[in-house]
Amino acid sequence: MTEKIIARAAGQETVRPGDEIWAVADRIIMNDTTGPRRIAGLIDELGGVRDRDRIVLASDHFVPPANIRQAEILKTTREWAQSQDLEHYFEYQGVLHNLILQESLVLPGMLLVGADSHTVTAGAMGAVAVAVGSTELATVIATGEIWLRVPQGILIHLSGQLSPWVEMRDVTMHLLGKYKADFALYSGVEFSGPFTEGLDLEQRLVLSNQGIEMGSKNSTVVPSRKLLDLIEAADIQQDFTPIYPDDDADYTVKYEIDVGELVPQVALPHAVDNLVPADQVQDGEVDIAWIGSCVGGRYADLRAAADVLQGKQVRIPLLINPATHAIYRRAVEDGTFQTLLDAGAVFQPAGCGPCAGLHSGILAADERVITTATRNFRGRMGSRDSGVYLASPYTVAASALAGRVIDPRQVSEGSKVA
Amino acid sequence: MGRAWVFPASVSTDEILPGEYLDRRNDEVGQFAMAGIDPEFVGKVKPGDVLVAGPNFGSGSGRETAPMALQQAGIAALIAPSFGRIFFRNSINIGLPAVTIEATESIEQGDLLIVDLDAGTVVDERTGETFPIQNLRGTSREILDAGGIIEFTKLRLADKSKQPVKNK
Repeated sequence: MTEKIIARAAGQETVRPGDEIWAVADRIIMNDTTGPRRIAGLIDELGGVRDRDRIVLASDHFVPPANIRQAEILKTTREWAQSQDLEHYFEYQGVLHNLILQESLVLPGMLLVGADSHTVTAGAMGAVAVAVGSTELATVIATGEIWLRVPQGILIHLSGQLSPWVEMRDVTMHLLGKYKADFALYSGVEFSGPFTEGLDLEQRLVLSNQGIEMGSKNSTVVPSRKLLDLIEAADIQQDFTPIYPDDDADYTVKYEIDVGELVPQVALPHAVDNLVPADQVQDGEVDIAWIGSCVGGRYADLRAAADVLQGKQVRIPLLINPATHAIYRRAVEDGTFQTLLDAGAVFQPAGCGPCAGLHSGILAADERVITTATRNFRGRMGSRDSGVYLASPYTVAASALAGRVIDPRQVSEGSKVA
Repeated sequence: MGRAWVFPASVSTDEILPGEYLDRRNDEVGQFAMAGIDPEFVGKVKPGDVLVAGPNFGSGSGRETAPMALQQAGIAALIAPSFGRIFFRNSINIGLPAVTIEATESIEQGDLLIVDLDAGTVVDERTGETFPIQNLRGTSREILDAGGIIEFTKLRLADKSKQPVKNK
């Protein structure tokens, strides 16, 4: 499927792993940290923006700005968007990757190129979404084209049903724990199987988003009937052609996972593949809990936390940044917000929040957070002497009740939280 | 030829250039290179030195300021069994060679290394060992030879034989 999408974008009948090709990017995405502040001059140097309608720009990292430097970056970003008369510019509306999916700015079969590692998230839509750096994105914006080496394919076939209090994030953490953080390096990962067919877009994006932590070039979830129904319901005024894997597609490796066997997982500091079952975390005292980020600020994360926290009180601060403002609104309108508020949670604006260690809840030395954030490398969310535990929203919420890392089944199955 | 600075496996870009410095301009990040793993690094490294690491160096965030910081601090080449793919691409795009060799365990801190892209080898002067360079063929080598992706793109735009791609 990855090869077929790249071949289409390159105007070729077929391509093979290892081929180096030039392709046209159907969509080009960037944010306030990787975007105009770094590349406006380079784009001009190369002749200017080729097709502004292909560009999506979101100010998500530095909103709200925490200091004057950040405020200047936000201003530069906004002014560039205005100067280009950009149709797709978002500010205070949420995280780029979530907005792309929410607004159907990526569709099945597309080739999307973005400056931000979590660009791969758009693979939830059955697209090939590839991340590059800022300077290279300037060349793609100016020429419309990108060079790619066609990746080797890896198939991850998922079957079964998740057990209660086990969540999508436990699936990707299981993969990282079992196969390690570079198992998909340079590869095109494809997720398929009966389990993926029942997933909604928010569930699919966990698979694609975490593909970058596995090292992948793109991580694409095969289109399903359910996905096509969701797109149809969104009433998109744009034609697209879904692309599917061939029955006899070649993969270098195939992994078969029965998700029914999974239990709640926690990634310990300081590596995304440093996994243990949540009920086996030793000395797991945490100072703060955070629900947010492109992978962990979904409506599903807020809802899952509310299911755990209903009628209870957190013991440590629980901060929440919805991934988009629309998610925030939905949670307010359906009562999820009230449930979380009553449990002691504190809401912050939609956006990346403290995920990249920029503002809004970063950590001092020796502080520990449990979070649904994207990654937990040393110093990721603040001091290089702080620590980040990654987990599902169930596990984060349960741990916020306990003040230490626990298995959510300890709360939900009635046993008293110590 | 440069001295080797040896780092372990799976060093992320969060350690190469911590998030704290994401609001800095491209040209002011050199002073923070490796701040998340060795805050004294910038004071010790000399122009022309070579960074040697274990597998998956530069994993995680795609921040281009990570290789930029290393380049500004004086690092002339990167050597590892593998790199985070965005980090690799970013390094090449700014004209910093990121060389893969099969294994780096035998290279020690301070070894004098000769990185010869044309010969396709890395030689460790201390041990006399020669490592074949596995990557930097095709387009990535052309970008490197042009001095980075901006210069490469200018050459490509000027070359009338390179017709724009027509996708389907």
